[in-house]
Amino acid sequence: MDFALTEEQQFFKKIITDTVDRMVVPKAREIDEKDEFPWELWKDFTKLGYLGLRYPEEIGGMNADPVTAMIFYEQIARGSVGFAQSVIMNILMGTYFVYRFGSEEIKKRCLYPAMKGEKVATMCFTEDQSGSDLAATRTTAVKDGNEWVINGTKMWITNGPHADIATVLATTDPSLGAKGLNFFLVEKGTPGFSPGQIIDKLGCRGTVTGELVFDNVRIPEENLLGAELNKGVEYLAEILDEVRVMTAAMAMGIAQAAYDEGLEYARKRIAFGKTIGNYQLIRAKFADMATEMEASRLLIYSAAWKIKEKLPSRLEAGMAKMFATETCLKVVDEVTRIWGANAFANEYNPQRHFRDARFLLYGGGTHEILKDFLGRMLIGKS
Amino acid sequence: MDILVLIKQVPDPEALVEIAAGGKSLNIEPKFATNLFDEYALEEALKIREKHGGKVKVISLGSAKAIEALRTAIAMGADEAVLIEDESFAGSDGYNTSLVLSRALEKETFDIILCGRQAIDADRGEVPQMVAQFLGLPHVGVVVKLDIADGKAVAESTLEGAREVIEVALPAIFTAQKGLNEPRIPLITGVMKAMKVQIPKLTVEDLGLAKDMAGPDGSKTKILQYLPQKKRPAVQFIAGEPQEAAIEAVRILADVERVI
Amino acid sequence: MLERLARPFADAIDKSDNFPKGLFEELGRLGYYGLRYPEELGGMDADCTTFTIFAEELARASMGLAAIATMQCLMGTDFIYRFGSDDQKKRCLIPAIQGEKIGTIAFTEPDCGSDLGGIRTRAVKNDKGYIIIGRKLWITNGDVADFVTVAASTDPDKRLGGIGFFLVEKGTPGFSVGQKIEKISARGAATVELIFDECQVPAENLMGEEGKGAQYLNDILSEIRIMIAGLGLGLAKSAFSAGLRYAREREAFGRPIGEFQLIQEKIAEMEVRIKAAEFLTYHAAWLKDKGSLTGKEAAMAKLYSTETACFVVDEVSRIHGAYGLAEEYPAQRYFRDGRFLLFGGGTSEILKTIIARDTMKKSDFDIT
Repeated sequence: MDFALTEEQQFFKKIITDTVDRMVVPKAREIDEKDEFPWELWKDFTKLGYLGLRYPEEIGGMNADPVTAMIFYEQIARGSVGFAQSVIMNILMGTYFVYRFGSEEIKKRCLYPAMKGEKVATMCFTEDQSGSDLAATRTTAVKDGNEWVINGTKMWITNGPHADIATVLATTDPSLGAKGLNFFLVEKGTPGFSPGQIIDKLGCRGTVTGELVFDNVRIPEENLLGAELNKGVEYLAEILDEVRVMTAAMAMGIAQAAYDEGLEYARKRIAFGKTIGNYQLIRAKFADMATEMEASRLLIYSAAWKIKEKLPSRLEAGMAKMFATETCLKVVDEVTRIWGANAFANEYNPQRHFRDARFLLYGGGTHEILKDFLGRMLIGKS
Repeated sequence: MDILVLIKQVPDPEALVEIAAGGKSLNIEPKFATNLFDEYALEEALKIREKHGGKVKVISLGSAKAIEALRTAIAMGADEAVLIEDESFAGSDGYNTSLVLSRALEKETFDIILCGRQAIDADRGEVPQMVAQFLGLPHVGVVVKLDIADGKAVAESTLEGAREVIEVALPAIFTAQKGLNEPRIPLITGVMKAMKVQIPKLTVEDLGLAKDMAGPDGSKTKILQYLPQKKRPAVQFIAGEPQEAAIEAVRILADVERVI
Repeated sequence: MLERLARPFADAIDKSDNFPKGLFEELGRLGYYGLRYPEELGGMDADCTTFTIFAEELARASMGLAAIATMQCLMGTDFIYRFGSDDQKKRCLIPAIQGEKIGTIAFTEPDCGSDLGGIRTRAVKNDKGYIIIGRKLWITNGDVADFVTVAASTDPDKRLGGIGFFLVEKGTPGFSVGQKIEKISARGAATVELIFDECQVPAENLMGEEGKGAQYLNDILSEIRIMIAGLGLGLAKSAFSAGLRYAREREAFGRPIGEFQLIQEKIAEMEVRIKAAEFLTYHAAWLKDKGSLTGKEAAMAKLYSTETACFVVDEVSRIHGAYGLAEEYPAQRYFRDGRFLLFGGGTSEILKTIIARDTMKKSDFDIT
């Protein structure tokens, strides 16, 4: 088995690591403190072209394979989680269905500008009463002539107020449950589409998260993002594994950022006459963290490789997501302990990583849902 | 304009460095980066090309790993790159490094050669001057401003507490100092190009040099020993009234510690 | 009582990170700061168990308030109680018991937390008493304190054996408050820098004898640790009940999420650990009241209770799903507050070595 990244992937990793170090890392604290969309950084960073990471070269993308993409996701999250959330929305979830099913007209208006960072994209699945349970979606889409009429309220939407294009999950018939779900494109400025309440968050600050209200929003029928009606869940399955592995990669980015802080502190903080890196309990923490991070990365790259080779990846993607997330949570916890009281001072970074890591528990599916789902897969029908 | 840039891959500034037992060699954590001053040189080359047109070619003498530094240069926008790679050159000092680079440069047409003022690992800052000598070219060092026009260049160099403005006819060698420019961050299109590009390699034979000119045997200097830095006391008291002490503190920071 | 009094303000205290003056004074009026002190001084002569209950209930309502109040009850005033002159008691202790003056203790420094023997604050003897020179950091209530019990060394070479505690009152020339640390945990209890720039204090401001400071601190260390174990219990129980409520009310897939096994597992684990922490804590308190407490039991109680609190606040945040991130819900405040418990009274790492070293010498489980 060849576990090595190709020379090209190694080179890409070096470039993106440097790029993040130079452009994003210095702004991370400010983004967290201000908790506003970082427009200036967005403009500078999107100029580099990375938002087209996954899309074909013919339309201005990079055509990156899933493994290369994971390298990117890890580094951007290492730089700033708040910023990374916005970036990945444009790269994947916020644009995928437009890319997959949008007309050329729609692509010209929405996808290509989003790839350049000229438009901000987001996806709208969650509602107040439906997070894990997509079948409980109550936002409706009713056909009226050659238009769809969308009604409902979405919750926990990343960058809702700033979004120029939104991929909205709505049901044509609530009684059908998961089998009635579809994706629709709603663009900013459409009457009836407006932001609602904003949620102040513990972590991932730098994205504006909140409600989006759809009040008799009329969209042309071509805004149904799907070849057939009511196949939303199937279409979601196309990127679900990638989304989970991406979350896992982001977990490693956060873990790495925290780990590096822990390393620096352990090497210079003195107690009882020596640097604390000399004590067994501290050393053990690093051994454990490094081991689990290595294991996480192997799971991530193995799952990414399976996706790349179009092999079944549902199980591995779920495993990678859970393991990497739990590892990250452990790492950010241990690093705050290594830092002692300094860990909870706002002035230093460990507390930010500690807060930022929490979102990993829900993005891509809660662990309780995943464990139940994977367990069922493993045990089989009974 | 044909612009050549000499770059070196060095250990990452954050890499851990230890003196090996015996003091004859160093154990360096295998993390690498392009020499910082060479980045300024490359950026300047790209800016000159943007203004005057032409081609930027990057040359490096190093191990196979140094390909990464050359790819980075391509990602930033360099048109071509070549790696001089030969096992026998490990352990060379500034003299035979300069010799090799000069031989490679002799095969090229150029108007300007840009280098970093020094490599941050050896910190000698002697290669560009020796190359200039070998090639019979004028050399202007520690440049913080460079203007090209009509086959001539006007360069500003930093001295301690002053600046020197020099006019020189091209072709010439310039070494880049911090402050010359802000190296650009590669665009994804550059990155993609760099990932795919095939970088040609040259060996000692290709340059018409004998193997015994390489390595420690061909060097003019020899490293006898590595010694650890003297441990400085953590605290230095500056005596005197606040007014005088402040002046003394600034003097120490500027002239002794050289941090301002 | 603290439920009614303090809980409604917990979020506001956390958000503003301002000293909760009103609540602080109310607790004083009700007499709580004198819990541990004799009736003659206006106290309640309460035992360790009672004091621990108080700490627990405070933390259940608000960690910020708990940090402030426990400092006032114990560390911030105890040295004056034990070693202060009548004059000092009149000036500092009695008003503190009534909530009219605020006291605190200062031993931590920027480079010195667990390693008390390494402190650099000096106390230099002169004909007027002592000059205190140094900087302290992470001092609870430091910005509002009327008097501070400061750990300073009269003989740094002796390390722990050179430490003494000195009473420094607000207004003493050379004593000033430096920066306030913005933090994510125990907000409301300001932790600040204190600067002692050649602070002259009279000889009688030395609490007890020179060089005995570490021993004096040790005398109350177990009590401090049991108190912090109590804080851990309060946080854990508060978070647990929030998690329980959410599990009962939030529905997914047609029923309350508390009916799903994985959530049930969390609930069960949290409850068992909280119960275990409760036993360890109150057992240690009971031993103290009986007079047969060893340092190890106190360390064990603190270690287990605070780790349990951190476990609980993590699980509760998970139960809340994305709402664990929302500032509007208390889950994230509990989550943040857990961190504070990991350092006060000794980090878990230090405590583990203390416990093990003691057990290596002699253990209840030794086979004879």
